[in-house]
Amino acid sequence: MDAVHHDRRAEPPAEAALRGFSLLRDRVPADMAARVLARFCGTDQQPGDGPASQDARPSGRPGERVVETLLMERADRDRLRAAFDRGPFLTVELGEGADEAAALLDDWSGAPAADNPDLPGFYLSLTTGTAYGLQCPVLVCDELARRGVLDPQRRSNVELCLHEAVANAIVHGNLGLSSAVKGEPGGHRRFSEMMRDRLGDPAVVRRRLDIFCRWSERSIAIAVVDQGGGFDTELAPPISGNKARSGRGFVFMRTLASRVTVTDGGRCTVLQFDR
Amino acid sequence: MDFKTTNTGDATEVRLAGRLEFTDHDKIPGIIEMLDPMAQTGRRRLVLDMSALEFIDSAGLGMLLILQEEAENHEIKMVVRGPAGDVRRSIELARLSEIITIEP
Repeated sequence: MDAVHHDRRAEPPAEAALRGFSLLRDRVPADMAARVLARFCGTDQQPGDGPASQDARPSGRPGERVVETLLMERADRDRLRAAFDRGPFLTVELGEGADEAAALLDDWSGAPAADNPDLPGFYLSLTTGTAYGLQCPVLVCDELARRGVLDPQRRSNVELCLHEAVANAIVHGNLGLSSAVKGEPGGHRRFSEMMRDRLGDPAVVRRRLDIFCRWSERSIAIAVVDQGGGFDTELAPPISGNKARSGRGFVFMRTLASRVTVTDGGRCTVLQFDR
Repeated sequence: MDFKTTNTGDATEVRLAGRLEFTDHDKIPGIIEMLDPMAQTGRRRLVLDMSALEFIDSAGLGMLLILQEEAENHEIKMVVRGPAGDVRRSIELARLSEIITIEP
């Protein structure tokens, strides 16, 4: 399946599709920048930096930080690899034909700020249409491995957990599909029809899937955030024996990750792993 | 996921390759469709050869259970053969060998 994605496109080199590094102050509206900086970089406001409502952006003063951001119109595997090579903190796919300003105001910074804002990390924000079938967990694990964060021995377990979290975020979150239908006679057919329907809805495929990785010397945390309807986090997944056709994703995550936390009404899953 | 089918005596063998995951729901009817002709021609074993499968997720495991149920409805015995690496890890985590016949 991998090869299909690589081969079927005859596109300009990935480099040409990138808009290059953009510092937040150049590309992102002030309120967005303030939000991102608040989440990822702790303090960006310096006393006497002017009214916060008008200029919440970093101004290059000592002690201030700039979040390196890379924006792209449309993401695919090669472009994302090229983007990661340049090492931005935030990589954001705006979406095809999207109004850039409006896209930036979408709530793609939904992941909770880490306790320690100094920890290294990176943040990838994709549209659902792109994330579906892109196997972004593979790309994210490749990048974690490239940065020396992910031990090759642990990779396949981390990748499976991330895959399950991403699949949940896409299917049950952004596409809003329930697995219950799969249990009905002929339900698998109806389920794949419903999936096709939702993937054909422009409003649905524009919803964002965000993956936020942070790490310390001892652990890695990966947050997966969707923009779907969430679910009742008080309800444990039904325990219906190992014949059930769904519900194993969480079993995998709970078994393989050192900690799984669901927040934001079911829209954010944070996986933690020992390094 | 891609698959290739061969008929051998009393069995139909389906060789799966690539990744079987949540984006592959529409591939399953292609396998289910073979069950009718199998039953009609007296082939009673459906062998899923997974030795070339690289990855399976929880949705893919759910698809195996759907296939098994459909096979049973046709009085066909389904067997999973040769899962390795990450695929075997997923099958073991889900304790699927308690409900599906797995051959090395």
